[in-house]
Amino acid sequence: MNNRKKLLFGGVLGDNIVLSGLMVISPVIICGDTLKNAEALIYAFSAITFLSVLISSFVPRKLPYTAKIIIYAVISSLVYIPVRLAASEFYPESIERIGIYYPLLAVNSLIVFQTEAKFYRMKKADMIISLLSCILGFDLVMLITGFLRELFAYGTINSKIVDINTVINGLAQPFGGFIFLGLMCGVYRYIRGMVSKNNNEVRSGTDVSDK
Amino acid sequence: MFLINDLIALLAANLILSQALGTSTLFIAAGSRKNLVATAGVITLFTTIGSAASFFIDLAVPSSVSDLRLLFYTLVIAFLYVALLIIVYKFGSRWFEDMRKYIHVSAFNCAVMGTLFTINKRADADSALSGFGGYVSAGFEAGIGFVIAAIILTAAYRKLNSRKVPAAFRGFPAMLVYLGIISMAVYSLK
Repeated sequence: MNNRKKLLFGGVLGDNIVLSGLMVISPVIICGDTLKNAEALIYAFSAITFLSVLISSFVPRKLPYTAKIIIYAVISSLVYIPVRLAASEFYPESIERIGIYYPLLAVNSLIVFQTEAKFYRMKKADMIISLLSCILGFDLVMLITGFLRELFAYGTINSKIVDINTVINGLAQPFGGFIFLGLMCGVYRYIRGMVSKNNNEVRSGTDVSDK
Repeated sequence: MFLINDLIALLAANLILSQALGTSTLFIAAGSRKNLVATAGVITLFTTIGSAASFFIDLAVPSSVSDLRLLFYTLVIAFLYVALLIIVYKFGSRWFEDMRKYIHVSAFNCAVMGTLFTINKRADADSALSGFGGYVSAGFEAGIGFVIAAIILTAAYRKLNSRKVPAAFRGFPAMLVYLGIISMAVYSLK
């Protein structure tokens, strides 16, 4: 149970794929400037990644590494088609804005490389928990980025004007995305460092009392 | 003067600095001179040959079924991926162990796939770029753009990873902020 809990929170807090693994960062940098874009990307990433990794888990493990990587990429390219068709119904405007980053989500390194290095070494139930946790980690970062960048770049929240004194237009640009994500990574690491330090202190305290 | 103009054009059209494509691969490339040469070489090969192949895909695939483009691009890159591994194995077996990790990293990533989609988008917008030559040169330019961005990052790599940088910002966070500042400078050239 403890291990499952670790898997569940690991991808969100402990080993976030965006802030710690620096995976799938291009859509966050370029398209994560409004909540609407963030919503559309969250839907696409979650659907494509979950379905692709799940389907790919049935690929025989005995195949050579290169063949498996190609099969994973082909599977995610196929999963992309219905996801994209559904998205054009729900998020027609965002899809236009997201442009080429939409198909690029389908060949993200979480699907193509992490499946082999991480997920398929676990039991199926653990794999699903860990995968969901990684997806949640991305979704959370995307939401926070979309919210804060929209607020400070356009002075709006979900396209509704907010009374805010300081508007920094540059935050909506790619360079703003790079700098914002860099700062977010630093803050995330700082918090993670503090939490693990506290945990170590508690653990070392227990060790002493145990003795 | 022409050279300066070309350099400015290359920087302004740089897919990493203006579109953040292949940023994580760039961090691997900037780690050492060996990584830089090998990754940049393989990425340039993939973008150039991939763009040539994508020209024919774009010709063959009608816009009504454009969602299938990703599948065809993936198949092209898969073919190149296998072909490159076989070629290196046959003709450079001494370097195979060293080179294959760069080929694995470079095959399916945003730098390569993003280049193919960007070229397709540019060709749709500007008919002058829609010929075979336009595709190949744009693919090659994207590879050179990757090299330039990697060199820019390599120049500061050691300092951004030094102990003088606070621990939380050391490495990737500092490199992202640094790339953001370079990207801001490039943005002003447009």
